[in-house]
Amino acid sequence: MKSLDVRGMACPMPVVSVKRALESAEGGVRVLLDDGAPRENVTRFATGRGYTVTEEAVEGGFALAITGGEQQPAEPAAAKEGPVVMLVGADRLGEGPEELGRLLMKNYIITLLDLDKLPDRIFFVNSGVLLTVEGSEVLEALEALGNRGVEVLSCGVCLDYFKKREQLAAGAVTNMFTIAESMMKAGNVVRL
Amino acid sequence: MVKDGDYVAVFNSVHRVMEAERLLKDKKLKILVIPAPRALAADCGLALRYSEDLREEVEALLTAAELLPRHLYRKQGDTFVEIGAKA
Repeated sequence: MKSLDVRGMACPMPVVSVKRALESAEGGVRVLLDDGAPRENVTRFATGRGYTVTEEAVEGGFALAITGGEQQPAEPAAAKEGPVVMLVGADRLGEGPEELGRLLMKNYIITLLDLDKLPDRIFFVNSGVLLTVEGSEVLEALEALGNRGVEVLSCGVCLDYFKKREQLAAGAVTNMFTIAESMMKAGNVVRL
Repeated sequence: MVKDGDYVAVFNSVHRVMEAERLLKDKKLKILVIPAPRALAADCGLALRYSEDLREEVEALLTAAELLPRHLYRKQGDTFVEIGAKA
């Protein structure tokens, strides 16, 4: 069983780390984490995916043993295997008035929270990164998505272009190699 | 996205909700346009979310601008309770 220590990490990193570990580990994961939000979020995430979670209090936090297999919901036969990757290429959805496009993008991201099946990863590129920085109105939604195991990743070059790297407020920075590789390995790419 | 005790004002037109958003944001009020919760959504499906402490100010501004929502709800536990139909 793989061991993991996510104590001291800010949300949603505990969930993201556990998700990654579960993807690569056979026989489950043992994770040390802080009480409170990390403990609740990781437990909810793992049980929601059909894992069994056993917890014990240890010095300086909690230890969760996450075992069992992920119970895949029935998928349409046509769906390819592999992660679902979403590419957000702008801060607005569709073509038309800017104001409407921004409203629709905001609505789309908030609506994702109502879905059972979520993308595994969302990449924000070009003006899409304006959604992940301070002042964005979807930060609350992105944090909630992160807590459900969705990785939120912003293109570093794009953040630099807009001089917003220091203002990143959701998820992490990534590069084009990771974006391209992740898209090529995806079972399904959803481009917004 | 809607916490216990928050207010959700559902509008019947995208133009009205955008106008209301502009008006309230100009006053630096922390409101958010959200998709109307599925339990409530009918046609246009857009709503303003605001917290109890902003209620008075938000509703006074919307009244003055004749931008009252079609329905106003308050989240209580898992349900939305209608506060009273507005114009």
